[in-house]
Amino acid sequence: MIIVRSEDIIIRTIARILVPFIQLYALYVIMHGHYSPGGGFQGGVILGASLVLLFITHGYDEVKGLVTENMAIVLSSIGVLIYAGIGLLCLILMGNFLDYSSLHALLHVDPVHARSLGILGVELGVGMAVMAVMFSIFFDISTGGISPEERDNKE
Amino acid sequence: MEVTLLVQAAEDAFRILENARIQAVDLLNTAAKLTSETRSIEERKVEAILSGARKSKSGFQNFIATFIMLFLFWALLSGKYDAFHLTLGVICSLLIAAIGHNLIFANVRVGDIRVIIQRFLAYVPWHMYQIVVANIHVASLALSPRMPIEPMIMRFRTKLQSDISWVTLANSITLTPGTITIDIEEGEFVVHALSQKLADDLNTGEMEDRIAHVFMEADHIYIQDVLDVARIFAELK
Repeated sequence: MIIVRSEDIIIRTIARILVPFIQLYALYVIMHGHYSPGGGFQGGVILGASLVLLFITHGYDEVKGLVTENMAIVLSSIGVLIYAGIGLLCLILMGNFLDYSSLHALLHVDPVHARSLGILGVELGVGMAVMAVMFSIFFDISTGGISPEERDNKE
Repeated sequence: MEVTLLVQAAEDAFRILENARIQAVDLLNTAAKLTSETRSIEERKVEAILSGARKSKSGFQNFIATFIMLFLFWALLSGKYDAFHLTLGVICSLLIAAIGHNLIFANVRVGDIRVIIQRFLAYVPWHMYQIVVANIHVASLALSPRMPIEPMIMRFRTKLQSDISWVTLANSITLTPGTITIDIEEGEFVVHALSQKLADDLNTGEMEDRIAHVFMEADHIYIQDVLDVARIFAELK
């Protein structure tokens, strides 16, 4: 059972101040994925990395307020659901799988705009899933598969 | 006979003086105790007032400050100022500010954030100047044929109190050429310096004083104040 936590005051303080900016940058990468390099996967990885940074520097207690392990599992499922749901919605609306232009009837915009909005939704789903899976992989590695709550119960 | 009288008189005088001294010391001690007691009572009162004010107001204030900073950061990154992208920016900034405002402002001491920002902006040019001066010094060390370096590790205990001012001081030291902060061990800085001059510059504590000024660590004598008093004193003399 390894719970990592840095004792260096410089690292702790800088991480504490940087984490919100890293998270905002991750959201920027997700939201602008259809204009510039980036997208759901890259943004999700950055978002997951910000949580990992907080975990390494401040320990589990600080991260618990943002994401817990169970929440990460739920979030990853929701992310995949959003992705697959938008794809299936296109199928239902007589398009191909993930053919966003067929969403225009639902969103009341022209097909070009519907493509842009559809890909944004898919990227949100991908970002959410990647963030949650990244976090839960790191969590499992660092705790050896036993969550701190379980350990407390055992003791 | 006269000599004995004289000696006795002198002894009496000494005894009276001694008594007076003891009384004066007692008086001073009581006075000091009283002042420290009233001071601690006053401090506790002020602390109670401030913490009360902090609890009710600061959560929301921190949230707004974080939101503004994050939204400016978003505008800088995004470069697209149409309604759709700005709305996305507002939503994202609100989301991150809601979960992250306790992180940025975790250890804020009493003090107005605007004054701190103002003072910090005034600190930056001074620090830039220090970097230039230290740069020239290190270049002269490196270029001189004898290369008169005296690498040393120095330790000093800081008077600063909050973690953010520690980090600012540590990074200021590291940014200045020739000196590097190796570690902070419970308020004790471990610094590597390349020459005696750089170590002396650091030991005068001017940088520390300025950082204390930036982060409003008021219970601290500024070196500038001491210098002013010294000048006035010299004039009086």
